Amino acid sequence: MRGKRVWLLVVLTVAALVLTACPQAAPAQPAEAPAEKPAAEAPAKEAAPEGPEDPWADVDPSGQTIIFWHQHSRQREEALNEIIQEFNDTNEYNITVVAEYQGHYGDIFNKMLAVLNTEDVPDLVVAYQNQAATYQLADALVDMTSLVESPKWGLTEEEKADFFPAFFKQDIFPTFGNARLGFPPNRSMEVMYYNIEWLKELGYDGPPTTPDEFKEMACKAVQQPFSKATAEGSMGYELSIDASRFASWTFAFGGDIFDYEKNQYTYNSEAAIAAMNFIQDLFNNGCASVVTERYGDQTDFGAGRLLFTVGSSSGLPYYRAAVGEGAQFDWSVAAIPHVTPDPVMNIYGASVSMPKTTPERELATWIFVKYFTSPDVQAKWAMVSNYFPVRKSAAEKLTDYFEANPAYKTAFELLPYGKYEPPVPGYDFVRDKVREAMAAIADGADVQSTLDQLTEEANQILAEQMAELK
Amino acid sequence: MTASSATLPRGGRKHFRWLAIQEQITGYLFILPAVLLITIFGLFPIGYAFYMSLHRWRVRKGGFIGLANYEKAIGDWTGALIWIAGFALLALAYYVWNNAFKEESDRRLIAKLLAALILIAAGLAISSGWERMLEAGDEDFLNSLRITLYYALGTVPVEIGLALLLAYILFQQIRGQELFRMIYFLPYITPVVATAVVFRTIFSPRETSLINQLLSLVGLGPYKWLFEPKPFTQVMFGWSLEGFLAGPSMALVSIIFYGIWTYVGYNTVIFLAGLGSIPSELYEAAEIDGANGWQLFRHITLPLLSPVTFYLSLIAFIGTFKAFNHIYVMRMPSAQGTVDTASVTIFDTFYKANQYGYATAEAFLLFLVILGLTLAQNKVFGERVFYG
Repeated sequence: MRGKRVWLLVVLTVAALVLTACPQAAPAQPAEAPAEKPAAEAPAKEAAPEGPEDPWADVDPSGQTIIFWHQHSRQREEALNEIIQEFNDTNEYNITVVAEYQGHYGDIFNKMLAVLNTEDVPDLVVAYQNQAATYQLADALVDMTSLVESPKWGLTEEEKADFFPAFFKQDIFPTFGNARLGFPPNRSMEVMYYNIEWLKELGYDGPPTTPDEFKEMACKAVQQPFSKATAEGSMGYELSIDASRFASWTFAFGGDIFDYEKNQYTYNSEAAIAAMNFIQDLFNNGCASVVTERYGDQTDFGAGRLLFTVGSSSGLPYYRAAVGEGAQFDWSVAAIPHVTPDPVMNIYGASVSMPKTTPERELATWIFVKYFTSPDVQAKWAMVSNYFPVRKSAAEKLTDYFEANPAYKTAFELLPYGKYEPPVPGYDFVRDKVREAMAAIADGADVQSTLDQLTEEANQILAEQMAELK
Repeated sequence: MTASSATLPRGGRKHFRWLAIQEQITGYLFILPAVLLITIFGLFPIGYAFYMSLHRWRVRKGGFIGLANYEKAIGDWTGALIWIAGFALLALAYYVWNNAFKEESDRRLIAKLLAALILIAAGLAISSGWERMLEAGDEDFLNSLRITLYYALGTVPVEIGLALLLAYILFQQIRGQELFRMIYFLPYITPVVATAVVFRTIFSPRETSLINQLLSLVGLGPYKWLFEPKPFTQVMFGWSLEGFLAGPSMALVSIIFYGIWTYVGYNTVIFLAGLGSIPSELYEAAEIDGANGWQLFRHITLPLLSPVTFYLSLIAFIGTFKAFNHIYVMRMPSAQGTVDTASVTIFDTFYKANQYGYATAEAFLLFLVILGLTLAQNKVFGERVFYG
């Protein structure tokens, strides 16, 4: 009997091990690579021929094949492929770019973690700033500063000045010694979508510019449904619980969620508290509700049962479609109502980052990035993708597009007021915590204590992320 | 034996031994591929995960930190020991209680009282140990274990009970048996993500959601379902219970419904197979003796199905502790973490926080919990299994 029991214990142990730990054993895979090949590939700066002026001067990018991991699908992918094909056909160095769709941002991020510092990394990858920062924890990205500044291959002062300043600076990381870990090919912005016709019915000439006006209009909309609505119910504002909404409202209240001097999250700043009190007040008065399904706010807005939403400008075509299929009314976008003299707009968007490979491939990759961000290509990319171009001169080529899409033009004109969310590692995890805090606040939790706790947790996560660098 | 030995040729014993060795080598060679596969893809990752759990590891490997990751999760070793001691006392109470029935009548009462006292002590130890751990440890992770337990307790008994009932009904030679069997099995083979998305819509807080519309027919609701972090007991019955007794959140109960829906069909099919293996003579004999339907079920079906029931409950408990996909799809920020089971928390630690070392430590702690539960289940229920 004792023997049987021992065997039973052994079998159960092995079974439980296999049943429980195997799926979790997968994590071993991504982390394995850096451990085995920490420095298999020479960093660009080290491998490039040394020179006081330009480390890239003698590097030959000819004949390189570049792999580009991206998340663009459907029309965007088609347009991107066209742009790439044109580059492949025309570049004088016979560089070939191969674009590979690798799923959404999260998918790409997970795939990247598995191949950092191995031969399997792509030459160019789409990455949000916080994702790039995470890659850099493993010292896996090229600091593109020397490429941008290269007298032979870089950008002229005039070209640099052509970029929107906020976009251009967004990929420079103070936490990594001001390294440039990405380069922007496009951007989006958080804007307020509003129903022009409904506002007129409510007795207003234009969209709200201050939070007080926003509240007044939103609450009035609940009492007075839109005459053309195609669905029952009436709501002033639907809040999609999201960290970027939190940041946008905090910016609009004149604050920030991060102190870049102290490298600390400031989710309990005065502005953040005021913003969340404002949101909670909307909920308490029945003037706001939570978005219950993914893109449910778009559908409700299109059906004419929702007066205001806040979301990405890249959603303009989807709002257009929702209104077209729904109540068919005049609508537009505006700055998020603010207490500051000028609007403060939350701009975001993934950049492209360059994992470390060889100097030749890195330079070839940069040549493509430079092409991708040239004014003509930017104008074309903006029209297809509905993202914003990153260069001012691209606007001159978008005159017809502006005319056909006035809401896009309105949003474009807000670009000079851009501000961005913190480019720090671990921000994805912090965003989850922000969502939970926002949900609690919308549910009636005490704002001050909720945000105090959130700030503490966020800074703890940041400290843990940065611990490896010390 | 003697005769056969006598017939062995010269050197036959040696030859026989060599044949036996050869046979053994051949056997090992046959199982070698499987052993290699299990070692490489089963045991090595487990060992490697344990190795990671002993290191500071975020994106890249850091220094060796011993059990620090484990300490971070459970917070207080003393608390953990008290907690484990509580379970040991629980086992002791079970042992004393079981043995009480073997005693004479006057000693039996004393033994029962002793078991009750040990049980109270066990409860106190578990409770105080848990509180200590919660104070110093990772609240998210420890709470995720509590949520996982809610999920398991809410799902497993109901899905097994329902499956047994359905299997018994289907076994009664009713018309369309095959069709019903297929219908019940469908949820199990339908892609989890797709069905979870459908359930997300059904359990939406909108007044127009299917569940709210159904409840409105009997004058209930609307409820926030997947968006409701408050305990189910509070929302439905207005009870203001605290701590573990408060029970799962309304959001988790919505997910429990999904879990039950998915696995009832699978369990039904397994139960049907079990029912098919019970000899019909037993029923016939019992019927001749005058047994009614309930007696047939209680004294023949249930005992002879006990190996199947035991197997299903064991697998189901392990499954619920590892449940991930549908919970991940159905969890909403508005639920404020009240549906984040241990698997989800470990996933977040790994992919969102990039704390590989800590995530693997959490995974090993989860493994230990599952192992403990499996052993306890095996001990308690295994003794009641009747193999015919």
